[in-house]
Amino acid sequence: MSKVKKKRVGFVLDMTPLVDITFLLLTFFMFTAKFKSESEENQVVIKRPKTSADTTKVPENNLALLKIGIDSASKDTAYYFSMVNEQDIIGVREKLREKGFPNVTDNQVTYVIRDTTWLETAVEAARYTNLNVKFAVDADSSVSYRWIEQAMNSMRKKLATQFYFVTDKQGG
Amino acid sequence: MAGGGEALGGGGKQRRGKGGKRKAKKRVGFRLDMTPLVDITFLLLTFFMLTTSMITPQTMEMNVPPQQEIDVPVKESELLTIIIRNDGKLFVKVTGKDEARLVRLSELRTVVVEQNIALRNRCIVSLKSDPNVAYGSVVRVLDMLNQAESAIIQGLRQNGVNERRRIFTVAPFTDKDREEVAGL
Repeated sequence: MSKVKKKRVGFVLDMTPLVDITFLLLTFFMFTAKFKSESEENQVVIKRPKTSADTTKVPENNLALLKIGIDSASKDTAYYFSMVNEQDIIGVREKLREKGFPNVTDNQVTYVIRDTTWLETAVEAARYTNLNVKFAVDADSSVSYRWIEQAMNSMRKKLATQFYFVTDKQGG
Repeated sequence: MAGGGEALGGGGKQRRGKGGKRKAKKRVGFRLDMTPLVDITFLLLTFFMLTTSMITPQTMEMNVPPQQEIDVPVKESELLTIIIRNDGKLFVKVTGKDEARLVRLSELRTVVVEQNIALRNRCIVSLKSDPNVAYGSVVRVLDMLNQAESAIIQGLRQNGVNERRRIFTVAPFTDKDREEVAGL
């Protein structure tokens, strides 16, 4: 009982290192954060199949994304075709408008495609716009193989023989 | 020049009268309350930490031959066909003349590895899948083939083949295939 607890009046802790680290982390997370901007993202949720063998990341440039998803409202499957590069978006838009794709608006990025002919046209337009374009097929794991096969056949027909299947890491 | 500036400054201060009292004090022991700043910072930090997803999607690279009008003839003995039935069951057909047989996913791996080593790199893997099969089960098979790759390379190297050329193709699921695997 000799050591009586003192009341620590006016106790000041140096918070500077704490604040430093906090700001550092904050800036890190702020810069690495990616926000979903596409509007149809809410409508079509893609549950990717899980794989364990590959560790390749999706290329960031020269990419044409072909999403195959089931619409949560109408329950029908469709292709959602979009380009990643800014100039490709414009190029493909011009090309598709030229070919008579229905309802192409001035800011359109994603094209909802439901038949093979348009899919082939889109693949062709993408390859015409950017020679180095790579195709990534991002499909929901419950979509029936028919859609994938059709997409593969369309790409093979337009000589896009190398493409990617977007997957998620097992257990991640 | 510096001296002149000082003189001017001093004069200005004197003219202001009362302002003369407000000389810049040396702020010894100056403390700013940082609590609100730290609060907000932590709030933002937690927000960004929780919204960031560190898992980025991966890819599976596919190389398929282009679709041509003319069918390219291949040796049946070099062909290994994997058939996925509409219920997701796997069948494998080795060397073409054999009957398709039911395999499990884990067995498929050994079959593919053995066949590739036996044919010394000339094995053509062809995938036929019923159009109604879910994409997920097709990817499972593709994933298994990718996993088998390291074992194949190792096996080929042991047999003196140092170069690995992978030939993979997708073939349409015909009615003949459907009949073949229907009763098994």
